Amino acid sequence: MIELPISLLITSILGAMFAGFVCSTMGVFVVRMNLSSIGFCMSHAAFAGAAFGLMTSIDPLISAIIFSFVTAMILGPISEKARLESNVVIGFLFSIMIALAFIFLNFIPGQAASGTALRILWGSIFSVGYNDLLILALLSFILILFIVLFYKELLAVMFHRKLAESSGINTKLFYFAVLFFTGFAVSLSLRLVGGLLVYALIINPTSSAYQFFYDFKKILIFSPLIGIISCLIGFWLSLITDFPIGASIVIISAIIFAIAIILSPKRRRGNGMQYKKTLKAV
Amino acid sequence: MKNNTNVIDLENIETIYEGERTPVIRDVSLKVKSTEFIAIIGPNGAGKTTLLETINGLLPYTSGQGFVFGKMISKHRSEIRKNIGYVLQNFEIDPLAPFLCKDIVMSGRSGKIGMFRFATKEDWEEVWYSMGLVGMIDFAQRSIGKLSGGEFQKILIARALAQEPEILLLDEPFSNLDFSSRKQIEILLNRINDKHKITTVMVSHDLSFVPSKCKRVIVMDKGKIIMDGKKDWILTSDTINKIFHNGKGL
Ligand SMILES: Nc1ncnc2c1ncn2[C@@H]1O[C@H](COP(=O)(O)OP(=O)(O)O)[C@@H](O)[C@H]1O
Ligand SMILES: [Mg+2]
Repeated sequence: MIELPISLLITSILGAMFAGFVCSTMGVFVVRMNLSSIGFCMSHAAFAGAAFGLMTSIDPLISAIIFSFVTAMILGPISEKARLESNVVIGFLFSIMIALAFIFLNFIPGQAASGTALRILWGSIFSVGYNDLLILALLSFILILFIVLFYKELLAVMFHRKLAESSGINTKLFYFAVLFFTGFAVSLSLRLVGGLLVYALIINPTSSAYQFFYDFKKILIFSPLIGIISCLIGFWLSLITDFPIGASIVIISAIIFAIAIILSPKRRRGNGMQYKKTLKAV
Repeated sequence: MKNNTNVIDLENIETIYEGERTPVIRDVSLKVKSTEFIAIIGPNGAGKTTLLETINGLLPYTSGQGFVFGKMISKHRSEIRKNIGYVLQNFEIDPLAPFLCKDIVMSGRSGKIGMFRFATKEDWEEVWYSMGLVGMIDFAQRSIGKLSGGEFQKILIARALAQEPEILLLDEPFSNLDFSSRKQIEILLNRINDKHKITTVMVSHDLSFVPSKCKRVIVMDKGKIIMDGKKDWILTSDTINKIFHNGKGL
């Protein structure tokens, strides 16, 4: 168990909660719009960007945001066309980003190099500063506003993009809004969760929520809730065990997902039930 | 602006998909009057879907001129779309999709309500009304992924109707349905056109299901309109036999 000053502890806990909120809120849209591979690529681009920032002494948050936005600008239009090449480009960019990240990490100047490098790889409890907290809170607020204000458009686009477009909604706007907010969410959560795992925080809580609800509104409420809970329990786990914070959070969110799959009424009522019945009949 | 009674007015339209060289539909001229019910038939790949999506501006045309409600399609796309209901062809939905039927029907109205506005009581009235019209009011709280093919098709039609469209575009509304569902949808389309005076353009690759209220049939083949006229005349003509039964043992 690590002893922490209380103010640092509170900052860190709040940081974890906000990170859980922004990532798993964006997850709802990313999963439903099949943007998983773009999101995956963007989170690794943010990771490479942060490494670049550390190497060149730019604020790693800014370089992370720039890297993931550039990735979104390249991948967004390609994937939008649903062309075959998009997977090829995603695979290409993803490997380039990882390679760049490790090259940048290698060149981080000074003695603390390995410590800093590890921190953005694995995440760190102490990394969330007061400023980060403010920005995370601001992003959370903007996301809530975005969802409340554009709920009807978002629902239409999530159901079927072409149908939404055909009834007069500018779906491109929402497509890119989702990509950009994802870029922000990833970049801001990077320091806490770490570049290699931040993406799990987008996917796992949402996938858990999808196991239980048929109502989009409920998914929009429960996905962030599960994200926040994962982060809090992960935080606690990391404190008592000294596990890296990112890994703890991801493990917890993965356990929740596994439990969700086992308990899921959606799956039980389907094939599983029939299978059991057939077994009994035999 | 163009002043005439045709709600749809296409002249020598040509549509090329992005990245392709050859046009999928060529030299298409089509005039549709208000409250008309027309069926566009033709074999798979004839360009029927492409034509529908050119009408509501989902696909840009590369030459010719197109007007809907007297407005140039290329310039007023989103405005025009708010008054066109579209029912997509062969649309499969993930059974786990997290949407309730009433929300899907409401989503048809989202464009019309407009940005920065919330759905009002009147908007919901319109949703209940359209769901009642297709006989699906009991399904309001059900999840969209758990419907049968016919029920799902009705919800999609209700979704388009909730928009209070002046034109209804239906792409293969009968495909993947059993006989009784087809019959139900047919009755529904007849009624929508008859009672609600909505101009209806229906696409089908199957000759056998042209609703009775539909009096005009357009035949497409290889991207061109090859026949346009009264239903009874077209369905019994020789050309149609050649296109639809060629190589099928006739
Ligand atoms: N997105 C696309 N890109 C390129 N070609 C397409 C696309 N969609 C359809 N086509 C081609 O356009 C032709 C007409 O298609 P379509 O309008 O869907 O025909 P129909 O609806 O009559 O079956 C087909 O040859 C098809 O291969
Ligand atoms: Mg078609």
